[in-house]
Amino acid sequence: MATGFLTDTTVCIGCKACEVACKQWNQLPADGYEFTGDSYDNTKQLSGTTWRHVAFIENPKKRRLTGDVDLVALAEDVTEPLPGGAELDALGRWAFMSDVCKHCVAAPCQQACPTGSIIRNEFDNVYIQPDICNGCGYCVPACPYGVITQVPNDGRAFKCTLCYDRQIDGLEPACAKACPTNSIQFGDVEDLKVIAEQRVQELQDKGYTQAYVWGTPEVGGTGGIDGNHSKFILMDEPEVYNLPRHPFLPQEKFRGGVIASAVAATVLGAVVALAFRD
Amino acid sequence: MSETTRQDSVQQGNGKVQTSHHPETDPNRKDKHYYGIPPIKHAHWTWQVPVYFWIGGIGAGVQMFSTVAQILGHGDKDLQRVSRYTVLVTMVLSPILLIWDLGRPERFLNMMRVIKLRSPMSTQSWSLVAFGNLAGLIAARQAAEDGLLGTDNVLVRLTKLIPDRLLSLLALPVGLNVGSNTGNLISATSVPIWARNWVFMGPVFLTSGLSTALSWLSLYLRLTRSGRPETLHALHRAEKATILIEAGLIAASLFRMSRWAKPLFSKTVAPLFVGGTLIGGIAAPFALLRGEEDRRKSILASVLVLIGGLAFRFAMIRAGRISADDPEAYFTFTSGENAPQPEDKV
Ligand code: SF4
Ligand code: SF4
Repeated sequence: MATGFLTDTTVCIGCKACEVACKQWNQLPADGYEFTGDSYDNTKQLSGTTWRHVAFIENPKKRRLTGDVDLVALAEDVTEPLPGGAELDALGRWAFMSDVCKHCVAAPCQQACPTGSIIRNEFDNVYIQPDICNGCGYCVPACPYGVITQVPNDGRAFKCTLCYDRQIDGLEPACAKACPTNSIQFGDVEDLKVIAEQRVQELQDKGYTQAYVWGTPEVGGTGGIDGNHSKFILMDEPEVYNLPRHPFLPQEKFRGGVIASAVAATVLGAVVALAFRD
Repeated sequence: MSETTRQDSVQQGNGKVQTSHHPETDPNRKDKHYYGIPPIKHAHWTWQVPVYFWIGGIGAGVQMFSTVAQILGHGDKDLQRVSRYTVLVTMVLSPILLIWDLGRPERFLNMMRVIKLRSPMSTQSWSLVAFGNLAGLIAARQAAEDGLLGTDNVLVRLTKLIPDRLLSLLALPVGLNVGSNTGNLISATSVPIWARNWVFMGPVFLTSGLSTALSWLSLYLRLTRSGRPETLHALHRAEKATILIEAGLIAASLFRMSRWAKPLFSKTVAPLFVGGTLIGGIAAPFALLRGEEDRRKSILASVLVLIGGLAFRFAMIRAGRISADDPEAYFTFTSGENAPQPEDKV
């Protein structure tokens, strides 16, 4: 059985409980005090020491907020024309999205790893064996989602283990357990796929036609990666969540590169041989 | 922010005061990405990696030139000697640099746990081991012939049993793989500028490796005033041709990288790439090598090519870092036909 996550961004309230639960359970070090000044999100991104990251997306869309704005009327969702000709169609939307390792079906990081440290475990999750990794760092630029980094001072690469240790004991991952809105669901990927489709249908029926599942081969595009075991329900373009639209398997082109190099080697050999002619 | 620009931003839109950050009025928020935070991560590689790419390329190129000379029956003892010792030195330095760059250097042997043909880093490690060992055996035979191992002891007699010419032939494909794999290794990543150029990355690294190797051989032979005139002549001709091929491959790469080549011309990389590689490492040495062979011009050209090759490696690695850190580059790359698609498998 393959297990995975379904992260439903439409119910996420940005409480960051998953981030904290993950740090705590996995005993991950702090990332330091950084103040981006951009938003309420000071974690910024996934890394070797942050395996869940909640993105805070200020998404006012095309809405204009001009003139004398009556904030009370705004909060109460008043729709009648405002005094002074102020244009208003509500404050826009906060979007939150708890990002995590996608546990790719054909995982680029796993293919890149020269030590065989990155494996698929019995739950079909992509897992870095910490006793094998030698910190070559090649998995880092290979990941199309910027999930892995090499942890300074430690030297090795780390990422979400999908709480391998908890799964062995029959527990769900710490983030899914801590999530108060069930935005993070854990389970069999096949089941999650059905749940995701139902949820998207429900949203569409309610008029949120922009809702879709990202991370399946059919939708959202995962060129060569064959989909992700961590799926997401998104309400906007992938880039808004800092996700690529058509991620691709970097190793797909390796063979082509080797063939091109062999051709080049032959030509160069001939050139050198010709240089010896009188 | 200066007082005037503050005034400007406050007074945007009907001269009314703005109440919040707004994508419609704040130019910083127009792009479709998350606060400009890179969606992928760059490699941590420090100076050891480009230096290794350079040294490994020289080893590969020297192996190529000397083996071709051997196959053609060109028996220049000086060329053979300097080639064999050069390859040995490059193959001793390469693993040192690579292990140095590991996060856990003491675990370098884990590279030998598995062979993964899909992982360029794995094939690279194995090629280095094979090339290094072959180079060691060949250089040992050379040392025995040069009398460096003493005279007529057991060691010398054993070493002289090493089939050096056969091993040189075997080392050729392995060495060529070391030289080109460095390029294929960086192109098999998610970094736009590298991934986009998968066709030419291996060839351009191999060619640049050969040109630095030829320059090294010519520099050494001319400085020590050794080597046969035919060897020097062949080196001179091969250098000119290789520089031309390299220039062509770099042009093709730039064409292929198209808009994602921008980091190569950025403020920090342009001096290395345009100044160091294109002008210093290609145009200037080619101009020097044109016309009659001249010892001093040739020495200068060799030095320039060697420096240009090193600059090229640094430029490529730095440009990759800039490319990975640029959300715009990654998102434009992954939002269309530009990204390698599964159906155009090779
Ligand atoms: S998202 Fe990145 S780290 Fe996670 S499995 Fe895929 S390639 Fe590996
Ligand atoms: S850093 Fe570790 S996990 Fe990543 S590719 Fe290298 S050995 Fe594998």
